[in-house]
Amino acid sequence: MQTWTEKVILFVWCGFSYVFLLSPMVVVMGASLHGGEFSAAIKFPPDEPSFQWYSKIPTEQFEALALSLLVAAVATFIAALIAIPAALGLVRSNFKLKFAITSVFRAPLQIPAIVSGIAFLQLYYLIFDTSGLMLAGTIPGMLLGHVFIATPFLFGTIVAVLQRFDHRLEEASYSLGAGRWRTLYRVTLPTIMPGIYSGGLYAFMVSFADVPMSIFLTAPGFVTYPVELFYAMENDFDPSILASSSIVIVFCLAMLLVVQKVVGLETLLRSGGGSAR
Amino acid sequence: MENRWIAYLIPPFIVTLLLVAGSQFVFIQNSFYQDLGLGRTGTDLTLVNYLKFFTDSFYLKTFWITIKVSAIAALLTLFLGFPIAYVVARMKSKLAMFLLAGIVVSTFVTIVIKVFGLIIIFSADGVINKTLLNLGLIERAYSIIGTQEGVVIGLMHFTIGFSVLLLYSVVVTVPPSLEYAAQIHGASRLRVYQRVIIPLCAPGFVVGGLMIFNMCMGAFTSAALLGGGRVLTLPVLVQRTVMMEVKYSTAASIAFVLLVSVILINLFSLIAIRRLRSARLVVA
Repeated sequence: MQTWTEKVILFVWCGFSYVFLLSPMVVVMGASLHGGEFSAAIKFPPDEPSFQWYSKIPTEQFEALALSLLVAAVATFIAALIAIPAALGLVRSNFKLKFAITSVFRAPLQIPAIVSGIAFLQLYYLIFDTSGLMLAGTIPGMLLGHVFIATPFLFGTIVAVLQRFDHRLEEASYSLGAGRWRTLYRVTLPTIMPGIYSGGLYAFMVSFADVPMSIFLTAPGFVTYPVELFYAMENDFDPSILASSSIVIVFCLAMLLVVQKVVGLETLLRSGGGSAR
Repeated sequence: MENRWIAYLIPPFIVTLLLVAGSQFVFIQNSFYQDLGLGRTGTDLTLVNYLKFFTDSFYLKTFWITIKVSAIAALLTLFLGFPIAYVVARMKSKLAMFLLAGIVVSTFVTIVIKVFGLIIIFSADGVINKTLLNLGLIERAYSIIGTQEGVVIGLMHFTIGFSVLLLYSVVVTVPPSLEYAAQIHGASRLRVYQRVIIPLCAPGFVVGGLMIFNMCMGAFTSAALLGGGRVLTLPVLVQRTVMMEVKYSTAASIAFVLLVSVILINLFSLIAIRRLRSARLVVA
């Protein structure tokens, strides 16, 4: 049993860690309610709370948000199309070099995103030099990069779910007369669905939050939301950024709640970030 | 039956291999051409970019600063992450899951927004500076931007959510019954930490610490924003060399040095896992 001194120490230590972890987000949301005139010194807590900056979010930020959502959603979908058959094929088959194949699928996690960013940019320049097709600054170019960084998260969670899969379910399906495809659609896929949902959530969020990869693949007028924020911070600073950031924080919370309703928090955490990396 | 599943594997494998090999091959090859500036490169394969990296004190200093801030950030992250992981893993109520959910949400929010929050907290008339000034601990307002401490704090924010989830998965592998057993045999709580919890978690800490160190080495966003151009790390240098100096092959060679260091650390941590596992088997 834990003694009281130990409980107090752990409580204070934990409390400090949580304050450290969550305070920046709380402060951004609080400061977004900044009332009064524009000032470079943004205050927390705000003096006269108001929602005025929420109506002053410039359209570029909404456009960037829309692009980010689109790229993250499509990239997650394509990543799922790659990761689901890959995980099925890898877990179910038995051959030498399995380890090597797994490392190829997990490789994008080992490569720092900034390295992948410059790698894709130079790949696009090479494609441009040979075929005249410019992928940097276009949606397909951006998508390819995001699929690259998002796939391992789906792959990791689906492999984890498949390794716990009860094969008798499929045998029962076969013995009841269902064919291969029917078994795949009616038994196998529904069973691994929680893994797909939670892996998909991680993949979506990794793509949605990415700066180092996207920063090389943007073009004027074609900027994802985190990169837009990144540049805004390096240049001019306006409280409307805090307002749109607060919307994004609430969106992230909402996404977690939705997926939690579908698959449950435990599945989400068990298959989560830790195992994917 | 077996062959059918291999057929599933082949198309996604080809796609992934093309993406991984294609992108990596092109920039690695580029790094071996001499950089003539303004995006132009020489035509002969040469090691000149690498020679420059390993002889120029500016690059070597940047390399050293990257390692230093990453190591400090990784250690501090473990220090802050462990109590949360331990408390949540030992908690019996439903609250544990909500505490972890808070961590997961924090990992979803882009690091740029967190850096915003940090800058507000550490601003000249922010909470921290006001308190420290009132207490008389500092004479002038402390600025977080452009300092190595600032970069360390930024890197910690980039990795702490992930590290709590990682340490949590380590702590749950140590059953509470081992703690009870030690206490029944007369061990104090301090001794339980010394002789049971810490030794059993140690392999996970070492491997987790190396993973976090690796994430810090490759972290761009927080290092760029909080370094403010005055504290440079390798990822920031890669981006600046491309965007400001338009030196693609120099940037590629820096990126390759970064990639190789990260892969070496990964290999090292794989070996560490093996060794620690076999060492544990002997003890048990």
